[in-house]
Amino acid sequence: MVRGDSNRRWRRIFLILAAIAGAYALLAPLTSLDAAQSANVPLLADRLWFRLATITAMFIVMATAWNIIGGITGYAAFGNVAFFGIGAYTTGMLIAKARWPFLLSLPLAPIVAAAFAALVGLPLLRLRGHYFAVASLGVGVAVGELVQNIDYRGQPVFGGASGLFLPIYAIDNRGLFFFYLMLAAAAASIAVTWLVLRSRFGYGLIAIRENEEAAAVLGVNTTAYKVAAFSLAAALTGLAGGIFSQWNVFINQDNAFPIEYNVQMILMALLGGTGTAFGPAAGAVLLQLLIQFLGGTLPISIDIPFVSTTARPVVAQIILGLLLVAVVIFVPRGIIDFFGGRTRLSLGYLRRSLRETSL
Amino acid sequence: MSQPAPQLELRSVTKRFGGVAAVDDVSFEVAKGEIIGIIGPNGAGKTTLLNCISGVYGLDAGDIRWGGGSIAGMAPYRIARLGIGRTFQIVRPFGSMTVLENAAIGALFGRDSARLAPKEAFKQAGRVLELVGLAAKASLPVSALTIPDRKRLEVARAVATRPHLLLLDEVMAGLNNVEIDEALDMVRAVHATGVTVLLIEHVMRVIVGVCRRAIVLESGRVLAEGEPEVVLRDERVIQAYLGERYAKRLKS
Repeated sequence: MVRGDSNRRWRRIFLILAAIAGAYALLAPLTSLDAAQSANVPLLADRLWFRLATITAMFIVMATAWNIIGGITGYAAFGNVAFFGIGAYTTGMLIAKARWPFLLSLPLAPIVAAAFAALVGLPLLRLRGHYFAVASLGVGVAVGELVQNIDYRGQPVFGGASGLFLPIYAIDNRGLFFFYLMLAAAAASIAVTWLVLRSRFGYGLIAIRENEEAAAVLGVNTTAYKVAAFSLAAALTGLAGGIFSQWNVFINQDNAFPIEYNVQMILMALLGGTGTAFGPAAGAVLLQLLIQFLGGTLPISIDIPFVSTTARPVVAQIILGLLLVAVVIFVPRGIIDFFGGRTRLSLGYLRRSLRETSL
Repeated sequence: MSQPAPQLELRSVTKRFGGVAAVDDVSFEVAKGEIIGIIGPNGAGKTTLLNCISGVYGLDAGDIRWGGGSIAGMAPYRIARLGIGRTFQIVRPFGSMTVLENAAIGALFGRDSARLAPKEAFKQAGRVLELVGLAAKASLPVSALTIPDRKRLEVARAVATRPHLLLLDEVMAGLNNVEIDEALDMVRAVHATGVTVLLIEHVMRVIVGVCRRAIVLESGRVLAEGEPEVVLRDERVIQAYLGERYAKRLKS
């Protein structure tokens, strides 16, 4: 019973911390409003805060979306950044070239991304394991190259190497608006995952992950389910891309198709806990904070001994890499595992995990 | 006595792997409510035949008819939705799930007209676990189950799809005598709920114990068909199992 009590305590601590973090994220931006400033409320959210918080919310969307195909369905997609870029370019092109209003063009980002995922998913999702991972990575890289290099009559269709400039979205408190919009997308992706995990669809996806042949003979339409999961992940990722394009005002191959996002979203999902509704979000927040902390962009910072400030980003990458190796080996089910009330962090847990992960 | 209309009908079913015909011109019928056994030595094509019926393999020739329509070449999930459930010889549980969740997947999917919402599916799964004798272990992870229990779970998952026809692929293999008796009771209990059963077995006792009719396969062909006791005394069958010399010795 002692163990159960301690678990309950941990769980309560976690819930309180999550509630505080959530309330802070929701309310801090309000202090930047003119009304709050004239009432002498301390400013809790400056430009940098908005930048970091919006990017964090963006990664919550991407990690949570990746989890639907990678975590729940068990297909390690390494090219999801393609959907982010497609979403960004869909909204970007509609705004910059067709002069559509932002809020009208945003819904097309998830639709186009999902349609593209269905198209490439049909052949790709026949592959398993490493083959699917490598093929999806190929698609991720190829789409970015295509977008930059497609010409029509000598003119780049999508802005080419010089990128695509969007008109600034005319709205008061832009930073606040885009933060809340991205946060809403993050909440939506978590809610979608939560619903999926409780539906016949979700159980079918888990069955596919655990044993695809067995799922098929029980009546799961495996092809349709896999494509649907891939498209759903693509839609959410594309939504984040669509918001990003108008928020950032400028998109090109480098910021709409960053290859490192592929790895980061997967690592976030792994760190937090794959297959769960809240794990990837927790992982996204933690990893993003860590990246920023090591990079020295957070207000709180430490000096890393023997390292000059210019070398910090490189050292940050190394520390990140080591941490993630440790996570994969010792906490394979992610940190969310400690908050479900069943397990707790102890030497025994790490030892058991090591046994499980080393064959 | 008038014969009931066949539920499942195989017409000259043939499946080749390269030059080898694993199933060669096999024809038989299964009537509604029957328990029929398919036996044969290793490599006779029993599992291949079952894979053909459940849609895991396509056919090279012949036809498989179910309730009057052809199901040859249909995807496995569509065949499952028509009400044909199956187990795998090498059990394929959903490892991360509990015993109850495994059975619930069957209830969530399976036969089209009987699909259940998640809440109902879990209730149905509970009832099926009771039927196969796993109710006490419902909340355990699959990894905690013994081999006989894993085989039970394999059956439970297929039964939970509420099939009209259940194909059992060597669910008794590897079990000891006591476990076989328990498994036989389980098969009888499932059959008593109105399910037609086609079982593949290596163990003769099983076929004699529950089947009224047996089909002997050898090298992909039907060697003999009839009542189990009669079939098992058939000289050709003894030869196929034990070799020509032994058959001759037995005869003299």
